[in-house]
Amino acid sequence: MTKEVIIRFDHVTKRYDNDAVVLDHVSFEIERGKFYTLLGPSGCGKTTILRLIAGFTEASEGDIYFNGKRMNNVPANKRQVNTVFQDYALFPHLNVYENVAFGLRIKKVKNSEIDRRVKEALRFVNLSGYEKREITEMSGGQRQRVAIARAIVNEPEVILLDEPLSALDLKLRTEMQYELRDLQKRLGITFIFVTHDQEEALAMSDEIFVLNQGKIQQSGTPTDIYDEPINRFVADFIGESNIVPGKMIRDFEVEFAGKVFECVDQGLNQNESVDIVIRPEDLEITSWNEGKIQVKVDSQLFRGVHYEMICYDEAQNEWLVHSTKKATVGEKIGLNFEPEAIHVMRLGETEEEFDKRLESYQEAGYEQ
Amino acid sequence: MNNKARWFYLLPYVLWIGLFVITPILLVVYYSFFDLHGNFTLANYEKLFTFVYMKMIASSFWYAFLITAFCLIIAYPAAYFITKTKYKQLLLLLVILPSWINLLLKAYAFLGIFSTDGAANNFLEAVGIGAQQILFTDFSFVFVSVYIFIPFMLLPIFNALDKLNPALIDASRDLGASAWTTFRKVVFPLTLSGVKSGVQAVFIPALSLFMITRLIAGNRVITLGTAIEQHFLVTQDWGMGSAIAVFLIITMVVIMIVTGTRKRGVQ
Repeated sequence: MTKEVIIRFDHVTKRYDNDAVVLDHVSFEIERGKFYTLLGPSGCGKTTILRLIAGFTEASEGDIYFNGKRMNNVPANKRQVNTVFQDYALFPHLNVYENVAFGLRIKKVKNSEIDRRVKEALRFVNLSGYEKREITEMSGGQRQRVAIARAIVNEPEVILLDEPLSALDLKLRTEMQYELRDLQKRLGITFIFVTHDQEEALAMSDEIFVLNQGKIQQSGTPTDIYDEPINRFVADFIGESNIVPGKMIRDFEVEFAGKVFECVDQGLNQNESVDIVIRPEDLEITSWNEGKIQVKVDSQLFRGVHYEMICYDEAQNEWLVHSTKKATVGEKIGLNFEPEAIHVMRLGETEEEFDKRLESYQEAGYEQ
Repeated sequence: MNNKARWFYLLPYVLWIGLFVITPILLVVYYSFFDLHGNFTLANYEKLFTFVYMKMIASSFWYAFLITAFCLIIAYPAAYFITKTKYKQLLLLLVILPSWINLLLKAYAFLGIFSTDGAANNFLEAVGIGAQQILFTDFSFVFVSVYIFIPFMLLPIFNALDKLNPALIDASRDLGASAWTTFRKVVFPLTLSGVKSGVQAVFIPALSLFMITRLIAGNRVITLGTAIEQHFLVTQDWGMGSAIAVFLIITMVVIMIVTGTRKRGVQ
């Protein structure tokens, strides 16, 4: 299947009342048939992007294209997208059937056709037989499904999901993650999913946009973003990480925690200051002498699948370690890691520069 | 112990209802079966179904309907507008404020405004239409009544609109509905309970208006309320007055039942 761009943002800015900038020159492309996640803390602008696509709000600057056509001024009811709202926004005066049929009735679809499609949509979300129920009689998870059925029944090209799982309890949420992912694959419709839950994003997406303060920090597949975070924010937001200041001595050699280590990064300036990221699960406990870093265990928690411990090295850097092996609080241990576990982040690097560096890995000194 | 305490708290309510609601209703029903000379009779109710009274009842309903309809036409868009503004509590207060002023004072104020040399006529002359007889017309009656009743219509509608989840409007637009269709299929059905409360709060009192009929309409408009007042105070025919009152009470109960809010699906 060829890559087909369905939605494109071109330097879109959104500000309210001429001061607070919610989105700051955001550009990206959405390809048909993929599962996208907009991930970020509250107030990062992710919901604003969704509202811009849905047409509930207008961009202050920049252009939004849908299938190549500019759609800034197309009203919400004329757009080929449907939304699953955070609080579901089901119509309380209509029953399940009429809620799902709402969009079709507006399009003046024939009754027999409505009946067929509503029942099919309800079957898709495992709610057959619930047609006559009132919304108030449905549980949170069921309402969620009605909201999804109400969106897919219109056969839109894009479905927008605004933190639709945040109101559900953990077990149901995990279940719905599988179901949503499965549903998207079966339907082949483009999903744009908004969440502040990084686990949800990693589990479900083909592609993630990490947002902070109205800017896209990094975009890529879940593994890309997890393994090669671009900056401190992304590293911190996606999964747990140890971030320590360091210095790039030369290619393949980096200094942090008072020592020089072998690494796999290159193409940076000599003696450039950098941030070093090492994931807690990449750190391995060993004896004091055999470890690459020597630390003292400060506290330890049993997490079920692993022990989580907080350690400090001699330079007072904090090291979070996930290990299946147990340590004793106050014990002095060594930490071991592979050169590949060291992720070097340049300070203030943009996403373009970052991608270019990863791709080329040859020439040095092209920045600024 | 517990039971005693409950009775203690219930007492004021029971006393109030007994003295001021149940007793007066029983008295009114009782009086309605006696003629001017204190003899038991059903004649009062028979008279109610004569042409004169039926006509009066019909005109009462007609005026109450007009007042309610105009109140609704003005109050719904106004309430809608107020919920959309930044200062909705302030604007709401401004609408409600006049209802705190004594009804009689407001009626007298309109006597001044609508009189032959009043502000309204001054304005009409200034724009070249010329002075009109405004006071003691159907128009002035309906106008002043609507003015007085608008807060009672607006408040429940405002509350219903304010409670409406804005995401429902987004959802409707998202599913392809135009602004008008959204209003027709989502906003109005979900605020119908407010409209019903407003209609109750306006239509029922409007049926028994009597002071305004005299002051503003100059007794040209006779409503059920006026008729009751006349029978009690002028002709001293308490029996007939009570019979009309009984009819009015039954009408109110019927209207309450018809416009009663069915709680369906509203969280």
